[in-house]
Amino acid sequence: MIALLKADFSPFDDFPAHEYRLANGLTLIYQQLPASPAVVVDVWVRAGAIAEPDAWSGMAHFLEHMIFKGTDRLPPGKFDQIIENRGGLTNAATSYDYAHYYINTAASDLPETLPCLADLLVNAAIPDEEFGLEREVVLEEIRQSQDDPDGLGFQALMESVYRQHPYGRPILGDPETLMARSPEEMRCFHRAHYQPENMTVVVVGDVGWESVREEVEKSFSFGSPAVCPRPTIWAEPPMTEIRRQELALPRLEQARLLMAWVAPGVEDMRTAYGLDLLSVLLAGGRTSRLVRELREARQLVQDVGSGFSLQRDSSLFTITAWLEPQHLGQVEAIIGDRLAELAAVAVSETELNRYKRLLCNDYAFSTETAGQVAGLYGYYSTIAQARLSVRYPGVIQSFQPEELRQLACQYLSPLRYAATVLLPSLH
Amino acid sequence: MPVKHSVAHLLQNRTVHRAVLENGIVILTVENPAADIVAGRIFVQAGGRYESPEQAGLSHLMASVITKGTDRLSSQEIAERVESVGASLGADAASDYCLMSLKTVSADFAEMLELMAEIMRSPSFPTAEVELERRLTLQGIRSMQEQPFSIANSQLRQMMYQNHPYALPSLGTEETASQLTQADLQRYHATYFRPENLVFSIVGRIASEEAIGLVDRFFGDWQPLQLNAPVPPPHLPTLMPYPDRVVTVQETQQAIVMLGYLAVAVNSPDHMALKLLNTYLGNGLSSRLFVELREKRGLAYEVSAFYPTRADVSHFVAYMGTAPENAAIALEGLRHEVDRLRTTPLTDDELQSTKNKLLGQYALGKQTNAQIAQIFGWYETLGLGIDFDERFQQQVADVTVEIAQEVADRYFIEPYVSLVGSEKAAELAAKAAI
Repeated sequence: MIALLKADFSPFDDFPAHEYRLANGLTLIYQQLPASPAVVVDVWVRAGAIAEPDAWSGMAHFLEHMIFKGTDRLPPGKFDQIIENRGGLTNAATSYDYAHYYINTAASDLPETLPCLADLLVNAAIPDEEFGLEREVVLEEIRQSQDDPDGLGFQALMESVYRQHPYGRPILGDPETLMARSPEEMRCFHRAHYQPENMTVVVVGDVGWESVREEVEKSFSFGSPAVCPRPTIWAEPPMTEIRRQELALPRLEQARLLMAWVAPGVEDMRTAYGLDLLSVLLAGGRTSRLVRELREARQLVQDVGSGFSLQRDSSLFTITAWLEPQHLGQVEAIIGDRLAELAAVAVSETELNRYKRLLCNDYAFSTETAGQVAGLYGYYSTIAQARLSVRYPGVIQSFQPEELRQLACQYLSPLRYAATVLLPSLH
Repeated sequence: MPVKHSVAHLLQNRTVHRAVLENGIVILTVENPAADIVAGRIFVQAGGRYESPEQAGLSHLMASVITKGTDRLSSQEIAERVESVGASLGADAASDYCLMSLKTVSADFAEMLELMAEIMRSPSFPTAEVELERRLTLQGIRSMQEQPFSIANSQLRQMMYQNHPYALPSLGTEETASQLTQADLQRYHATYFRPENLVFSIVGRIASEEAIGLVDRFFGDWQPLQLNAPVPPPHLPTLMPYPDRVVTVQETQQAIVMLGYLAVAVNSPDHMALKLLNTYLGNGLSSRLFVELREKRGLAYEVSAFYPTRADVSHFVAYMGTAPENAAIALEGLRHEVDRLRTTPLTDDELQSTKNKLLGQYALGKQTNAQIAQIFGWYETLGLGIDFDERFQQQVADVTVEIAQEVADRYFIEPYVSLVGSEKAAELAAKAAI
């Protein structure tokens, strides 16, 4: 990935953390945060849903559940007790590009807690007798997701945008594929992907560097990798028209309009950040163009929001509106007009500066705690490089109106996008 | 300068300054230079608890409209001032208070506090904005029907609290919210937005004297309008437990099942034992419900308990989402675990671990400037005083296994039951042995 990064990031002299590569290839990132009440250890693994072949869809997320079922040394539930009985917290999450696992623990407890987290991740036993039981839990998680209309809409949108790339598949998988998998296959997936070169350990808090390095070196020792089926990842062909789909859902009280455009992944971070800026300019507050016009002035929507999600292979730009069904056509047309306007007329300095400041402050506001800082470094380390994360405010500040106009022109076409509409089903 | 008195308290290694202005405004400040951020939380002694049943949703509507116009500024002008410095400024209504909140980088704090003063002291509640936000509120009330958890929770509270203001959702109901007018908002503002009814809590990279000075500069000359009219106390009926069941049939993928018990207010001697029982039962991956019903039996993804801290009688709820065919087993499982707290004392180890967990998570909940500002302002508003932060530790330490069991036995007698799910789930649940 590194070689693909554009050269407009000058030398890395401003990264406040310590980045260190262990002899076995594991990446360790450390930052001391003196006032922090806890130490966060956040382990990121390049083994999200995109690491699954089609037939193994849902495996990465199911594995995240099974990791907590222990090792030869830690029976199921023991790890949770070790962390929580001391007043700590632990949890995990899986997405397309990653799975990550964290503990939040007192500095004095680190010598006891960190080796246990390492043991879980490296030596997960994935016991046969727990596999079927935990699959029931995952099936409940899928059922819960099916009662959430916004989640269903987003999944349908992703499928429409990514017809080839695994970003189009549901992270949770589906019941049929989950039922077809075995504990043996999961152990294989685990041993293939949970390897040092795929992992980053981030430690942030009031703890010294020497003890952290020693603990991590001692605790993370890996066996040889297994071989497991890999996905074929096809480049996603660009959208050439408006991909429209309608879903009728029961119990829906208002319609949704979800629209999406694809944008570069980490190979062109500058473009991604520029689109992030355009996304808040369009719908990032009461003065933003779409909120002001659609919610406040013309009162056509209950709410309208935008999102920019930086992903490794291809980022996603979305606009979502919650509205009465009779306004769907008009709202979609207005959004199209406003995008055309962005591509035709450069924004004013005043407007641009407002959103630059908003994003830079948001960045400061979201790096206040040890957990937030660890998450930021871990995410960037997994999809690109940790040190790039702190460059964000500088890059945002460097944008000029003309460059943003060109980005809107190139990436936010009112003629090529995916639109998913949710409507209340009759009866 | 009309600061009546100002005292510094050392709490949990943090110095909290408490000052009172001549006009009655209480100011709490904590200096925290760690990040270039200042968070301000202004608590108004008002909120859902003060609403009459006919005007449910009034606090929420007030919070939606108050930032949308003053005597001098329009909604867009206010938003431009806030967004042009990348700050956040908002208003919320909770059960026990209304909250104005503010977050800025340090250099912009004074300017935003001045704007906040204008919003709080001379809001205009423009008719067009009242109509817009009322319509959006009504839509919001309908949208709650899309979420099975919201329906289950809402019907449970209604059943438990009857004509008590805690019964209704903060948005109100379609009947009440549709009747609210500009005049209602003006009256609400005149009644509760007065200096002696406010607590300011300011935390971040700002010296305490400076923070207190700024509040004095922008709010110090705010005189109470009706000097002799005290803030009317809330009308809170006494609650008589009358456990019952309520079911909403919907063809959802999961059934949501809930058991509820009326509990106590934060100032009750039983409060901390209930907090610990809640932690033991429902908090985290090693909690009793999680281990017994999810880890050992695979019945749920989400299974938990909650017991909110309230100025008046709170409620204790255990719940889970499960496949329709498991609805009865789920109810029986929840009931079994709650009942067990009455019959089987916790072991010393279990209680100690639960205490560690509660105190650990309490500490982790005080990390950001906004979290710190929230907790001290809230304690002051609830009448507990900022030293509740320390008494909390002592109260936790004082709970014994005997006390925990006695308290469980006192409150977990007969549950209120709420279910949302398919015909099949409802049929099965009706036969559950609980």
